Amino acid sequence: MTTLPALGGIQVERDELISGSEAIARACVLADVDVITAYPIRPYDTVMQYVARLIANGELDCEFIVADSEHSQFEMVKHASAVGARVFVGSSGVGWFYAFEAITVTAGLRLPVVAMVGNRALDDPGAFGVEHNDALAVRDLGWLLTWVDTAQEALDTALIAWRVAEDPRVFLPCAISADGAFLTHSQQIVKVPGKKLVQQFIPPYNRGNLVLHPDNPITIAPQVNEDWLMEIRKQTDEAMRRAKGVLAEAYQEFGDIFGRRRDPFIEEYETDDAELVLVGMGTLAMPVKVAVRKLREQGQKVGFIRVKWFRPFPTQELQQSLSRFKAVGVVDRDFSMGSPSYGGVLFNEIRSALYPLPQRPAVVGFIAGLGGREIRVPDVSNMIDMTRKTVEEGRTDQQTHWIGVRE
Amino acid sequence: MATVAVEVVYRGVFQKSLAKEICRGIVFAARKEGRIGTAFGRYGDSPERNGIPAKQYAVVADGEEELEASLSQYEPAEVDVTIALDDTLCKGVESWAWYGLQPVNKLVKENGTLIVTSVQSPEDLVRSIHRNGVPYNLAILRGQPSFSGLWVYRDDHTDVRVLGALSKSCPQLFSLASVEETVKEQWRSDLKVASARRAYERLMTRLVEPGEGNPEEAYSYHLLPWQEMREGVVVPAVPKGNGFRGGDKGFEPARNPHFKKFATRSMRPVVNFDTCAKCSLCWLHCPDGCFDITPEGLYDANINACCGCGICEEVCPVKGAITMVNEALFTENGSQYELWKAQGKEGYQTWVGEKVTAQKGFGQWSHGYHHKGQYETELALASKEAQ
Amino acid sequence: MTTLQSLSQIRGVKNVPWDEYYTSGHRTCQGCESALALRLMAKAAGPRTIVLGSTGCMYVANTTYYTTPWVVPWMHTQLGSAGSAATGTAAGLKALMRKEKIKEEPINVIAVCGDGGGADMGLSAISAALTQTEYNLLIFLYDNESYANTDIQVSGTSPWGANTTFSPPGRVHRIMNRRWKKNVAGMLATGHPECRYVATTCTSYPLDLQNKVRKALTTGGPTFIHTLDPCPKGWDYDPRYSHELGELAVETGMWVLYEVQDSKLTLNGPSKALANGTKQRKPVEEYLMRQGRFAHFTPEDTSYVQRKIDDMWTKWWVPGVIPFQNEVVT
Repeated sequence: MTTLPALGGIQVERDELISGSEAIARACVLADVDVITAYPIRPYDTVMQYVARLIANGELDCEFIVADSEHSQFEMVKHASAVGARVFVGSSGVGWFYAFEAITVTAGLRLPVVAMVGNRALDDPGAFGVEHNDALAVRDLGWLLTWVDTAQEALDTALIAWRVAEDPRVFLPCAISADGAFLTHSQQIVKVPGKKLVQQFIPPYNRGNLVLHPDNPITIAPQVNEDWLMEIRKQTDEAMRRAKGVLAEAYQEFGDIFGRRRDPFIEEYETDDAELVLVGMGTLAMPVKVAVRKLREQGQKVGFIRVKWFRPFPTQELQQSLSRFKAVGVVDRDFSMGSPSYGGVLFNEIRSALYPLPQRPAVVGFIAGLGGREIRVPDVSNMIDMTRKTVEEGRTDQQTHWIGVRE
Repeated sequence: MATVAVEVVYRGVFQKSLAKEICRGIVFAARKEGRIGTAFGRYGDSPERNGIPAKQYAVVADGEEELEASLSQYEPAEVDVTIALDDTLCKGVESWAWYGLQPVNKLVKENGTLIVTSVQSPEDLVRSIHRNGVPYNLAILRGQPSFSGLWVYRDDHTDVRVLGALSKSCPQLFSLASVEETVKEQWRSDLKVASARRAYERLMTRLVEPGEGNPEEAYSYHLLPWQEMREGVVVPAVPKGNGFRGGDKGFEPARNPHFKKFATRSMRPVVNFDTCAKCSLCWLHCPDGCFDITPEGLYDANINACCGCGICEEVCPVKGAITMVNEALFTENGSQYELWKAQGKEGYQTWVGEKVTAQKGFGQWSHGYHHKGQYETELALASKEAQ
Repeated sequence: MTTLQSLSQIRGVKNVPWDEYYTSGHRTCQGCESALALRLMAKAAGPRTIVLGSTGCMYVANTTYYTTPWVVPWMHTQLGSAGSAATGTAAGLKALMRKEKIKEEPINVIAVCGDGGGADMGLSAISAALTQTEYNLLIFLYDNESYANTDIQVSGTSPWGANTTFSPPGRVHRIMNRRWKKNVAGMLATGHPECRYVATTCTSYPLDLQNKVRKALTTGGPTFIHTLDPCPKGWDYDPRYSHELGELAVETGMWVLYEVQDSKLTLNGPSKALANGTKQRKPVEEYLMRQGRFAHFTPEDTSYVQRKIDDMWTKWWVPGVIPFQNEVVT
């Protein structure tokens, strides 16, 4: 077993070859996380393997508990967060679902738990490969939810996640989604910042008069009747609305401190003169970008938009961006059986976001890359063709296409 | 008639089956006259707690559309008849879900009826019922309130007696003949048919004018807007208690200021401070922590915190030092200790004596099951006495 | 391990602390012994305590937003989460104290669960918690022998034959609950050799209950207490008899009071007297016939329960604790 280079004392940025999971484990060290709970399931568990080694080697000082189930795992960090501890947790696929009761109450209680979801197909049948349905299941509950594309983005987003989740204006949990295998298990060069800079970026977690401690005697979450619950839901709704601004603020300051400036909510690629774009989340960005470059060499005006934050949903950003194009093809690495047009989740969210616009682009949906199947460059070209044809032919009979499925 | 709504107010669990039988009976009797109806419990009262007030409803209409119109609001805004199955509920209805204290006649419409099962006089009942803005009828079904537990039903005919009384005070609902027919069909008992008829014949009714009744404002609270509620579903804890009445000695716990026991009792402890051995067992065993500890080490039952279970009387080693007395015999919730201090030994003993004696007039009380065969024995004895 | 509070044993009812930390204004049934259990527990633990309450009667019936009966900090946890709530809370405090983010001091962490939460759904999490020897915590299981909050449904600790809404006696099946009550404390004591304190108690013995809470909190590490609380609603008896029913449960031998401290077993109170023969067990009939939930019992049913209880006291290795037969095959 190789020993990881010492990190704790390093105050300067350094380049390292690490996976997405390892990058998030590094972020735990940088953010000085207090409590981490683990339970094994592929592929997210790689992050906990790294965490365990960092603790064993004295790089990370935190309580590390291997739980008896995902439900316990998520309940533990929820309660640790209530007493004021910075926490990290994670899961994949049906493990995430096993924890679901704890996941929903964490948002209800406004506890800033940061979780990594190593996206994995849901059972049955058992499958290890990526699908986005696991993480997407929290989309209605009050979790901040983001997809990252690279190991660098995984590390950076984790730091942003603690800062925004623990901001008293927000106090919401945050799930960082990383595509199973493609990101959790692939190593890339990552700039790991110094700990001092990170401390400058993330203030200590201060729960104020909501903290559970004998010095602040409070009752948290008493049973509520119909006279009060709607107001409590409204508070969470407002927190989610405020999160948008707090996220933008965090990305701005992140750029100032670490020099890596990014648009917080969406990434646009080759869209300046584009007539047609594909939209998707996570690691499919790479094959799409390759295909876009190829097609542009052939003179096609195509581009790509990657949605980074799914909750809060970048409604205005997507309205402004997508209204510029004639046609939009949405690539879903998920399914939503029986949904409108039998489309994927992202597809229907985007259609819904575009509905109020006076000029709407045509929107075509693709279900692709389920169960860890690769989305390859020819698949992308195919989707772009189909999007174009749909517009040109004015076809409305079928709006959702399954890509690469054997017939 | 269009629609008639009936509300049954009762002691949770103790009278759950009874209330259900009554509401079912109402719907079946109305069917005899070609009407349709529905029966339901207030969801906020479920799951019920022993002795904590709860509500069930029966709504009857000429046709489907009228019925739907009346059900478009879950808890009816007003009712033709409210039936209080325990007369101590005349002090108000305080659900375990936090709705404040609702006057028992809150929903009774103008010239509607409040039926109470009671051995008290109409005047005594009117004194404890909150004032209503409109005139209404108070009907008294003579008899001890019927109490039993969750599993074993005490079949003392209260169910059919209430139906008989209803046909008299609300003839637009159904006739006595329909009630008799229903009782025969549903309960298959001629004795019960006779009980229903007797209740019809003997029902006493008195008009209550708007100015009559308890002038107090029933406890209510302000519902905060979301901006003023603390985030994270957090509410402040109750502060720590301190000395008795704020002094240095004794102890008085701080208590939940928003949830007092206004109407959860049908009995309350009367403490005889002159015979109290200061053993502390009443205080120690009280699930509600209702006893304040006085400077001299006596235990003063704080009625704002007492739910009337009677454990204190059972664990008290001195006979007569604590006696559970019917809540109907009290008009206020003041401290008995302060009464004892103010009145002196003689005056206080007179007061205690009056309460204990008056309690005997209420007969043997049973808030649920005592032992196997108890109800059968008691009912056989009661029927023998009646004959 | 962080230091522990010093909580002395209470000698005599006159020395029970006056302070209340779970106070009036909860909304349980008349005569609710589980509420008494919590009141006594909170008194014994004192002010520097955090209580986690899993879903059940003592959650729903206790707290009603915007009000609370709790004086010490209290937080809801999910039905099966008493073990994980206690572990997470203790871990959070420990990390924050070690890293000097909050003041170092001993804070009692108690997670409360009912029989549904503790003996059924949350058993795995409690078992896991009892292996976490680095953390000081107490799991306090209040057993009213049914899912009492949801309208009395049969649980893993409901007695054989009891009437519940999921096991109603009917015309064809008189006995619907044919499962025997789980031996929860015995299972946890024997299954977690590193756990230094496991005890049973009953609200009818308030000093026993309070002193066991104090022993658990001062022994340290993860600890467990199982209390039997008569439930006037689900058991169907007049609430005034709550205290007496608890005594009958112990005196008939149906419930056994004991503690296991550092692997040393002690039977307590009347249970000790029943075991050493200085007191005779009362017939179980005296207990069963006082409760409406057994009103459908035939004499054969009562005899069956009596036989099972007799077996427990005569054939078990340790009555009420270890259900292996006295003889060991070697």
